[in-house]
Amino acid sequence: MEPLLKVQGVSVNFSGLKALANVTFDAHAGEVRAVIGPNGAGKTTLFNAISGYVPSTAGTIYFKGTPIHGLAPHDISIKGVRRTFQNGGLFLELTALENILAGLHVHIDSSFMGVVLGLREAREAEREGIARARRLLDLMDLGAIADTPVKDLSGGQQRMVEIVRTLATEPPLLLLDEPVVGLSPPMRDRMMEIIRRLAGEEGIGIILIEHIIDLVMSGSDVIVVLSSGEVIAEGTPDEIRQNREVLEAYLGHA
Amino acid sequence: MNETKIPSTPSMTKWRRVYYLIPVVALVIPFFANEYLLWVVNAILVYTLVTVGFNLILGNLGQLAFANTAFFGIGAYTTAILMVYFDVPYFLAIVVSTVVGGIAGFLASVTALRGIRLYYLAIITLAFGELMRWVYLHGDKVTDGSDGLLLPKASFFWIPLDSEAPKFYVFLLLTVIVVKATSNLMRSKIGRAIVAIRDNESATASLGIHTARYIVLAFVWSGSVVGIAGAMFAVLTERVLPEAFGLTEVIIHFGMVLVGGTGSIVGSVLGAIALTALPEYFRQFPGMDELFFGIVIVLILLFLPKGLISLLHRISPVFQERYYRD
Repeated sequence: MEPLLKVQGVSVNFSGLKALANVTFDAHAGEVRAVIGPNGAGKTTLFNAISGYVPSTAGTIYFKGTPIHGLAPHDISIKGVRRTFQNGGLFLELTALENILAGLHVHIDSSFMGVVLGLREAREAEREGIARARRLLDLMDLGAIADTPVKDLSGGQQRMVEIVRTLATEPPLLLLDEPVVGLSPPMRDRMMEIIRRLAGEEGIGIILIEHIIDLVMSGSDVIVVLSSGEVIAEGTPDEIRQNREVLEAYLGHA
Repeated sequence: MNETKIPSTPSMTKWRRVYYLIPVVALVIPFFANEYLLWVVNAILVYTLVTVGFNLILGNLGQLAFANTAFFGIGAYTTAILMVYFDVPYFLAIVVSTVVGGIAGFLASVTALRGIRLYYLAIITLAFGELMRWVYLHGDKVTDGSDGLLLPKASFFWIPLDSEAPKFYVFLLLTVIVVKATSNLMRSKIGRAIVAIRDNESATASLGIHTARYIVLAFVWSGSVVGIAGAMFAVLTERVLPEAFGLTEVIIHFGMVLVGGTGSIVGSVLGAIALTALPEYFRQFPGMDELFFGIVIVLILLFLPKGLISLLHRISPVFQERYYRD
């Protein structure tokens, strides 16, 4: 199967410091791929390089067969690679509905003049967007909090809103930076279940960064292990569990 | 069945249409107000647009750019120069002031786009304002320097603007159009993108939103709105003076945004009303007026840190600023 994402020999240097060194892997549709590694291993830098927030100093990144390295973050997003942020990327002063609407931005087809003059087609486009955003929130049982400012929501609800916002345009590839951080154990399981369903039923390719090893082992199809910016192992959860190098470098026991 | 039928959730935003009553009721003001009071009302209309434009940058885009007072001066001098030296009709002068204000806004956006933000953006834009004031003072062959540029009598198409009442109707029309257009803009994908940039610029880009484009758009729109305000101000005062665009004015315009409520168009109107009317009211206490004015601003911000608009929020959530329209 043609990979969804091809990362080949990607390196990132921060003023002489090697944050990523020659990282290579493929990601596929319908697959949950976990990126693990100790703090400072370069996990978030990898996400930043794929999504265009950090320029890579070497290597190529192909999405659906076309190069995306060197593109601006918004262009990569439009192509269908969408991401979430470790510290939460929500617009806190806006309501859940407005956050989702911002996620649908490129799908709401209204022109500048149409908006300013309040023309019919612009208002129709806006209404369709609102209806779609409300449907998406209802689907995730978030309908009741649609008009609540996001800053007033619980941590779990905020995570869900961010996921819904990222998914709003049905992107083929999703990069989730610690999607369960700060969630209670039952919420974590629920989130992992949703992530599994997105990959299994919707065929979305998912790459996620996660620290909780149990979740990674039970929830992912493939694991990529980063250490000091290098991929030191890649394989199924079972293979990673057997890997001596990983155990020493990351899990801290041999 | 109609597939695209909109869910029949009660639309709270529709209640905001009560705002349309305000300009309608205002139509009768000239029948009750004397010339002086009407002058104050006209000044409120001018400062409403100044505050709406400033608030878009400060409250919605969340950038500490203080160039709006300079845009205001640029708009006023553009209209004055066109009318004094080129006999340009007032309507056309307003159009040119709008365009020139927009160009000034575009230039200001370049600093923000180059990553100059926060205090650095604040000091650069303040310096730009002072630079413009220097130009007005020393370009005295054109601007008449500190004496100010005296305008000829203006007329708006066939309406002679020789007293406050006709000015009021023209200014009210302009203000309603600009405020409504700005409100339409803010309650759309464009307004959401601008506020999203304020809340989290990286995350905004991750949604496919070309952030630089919206930063430029916000500055250009803001500059144009304030350019129109400048064109109105020139005809209101009939003499354009450099002092009208100095640092004290920057502080007052900043105060209007904060007293009204950042990020709120209705707040902008309230802030403009409060900080235009109060100094006029305090004039009856000569020597103490500035003290009273300062005290009132401090008190408002102490007890209503989110501005006068928060009083409306307490009445009903309907008046919360929303960035969509259904």
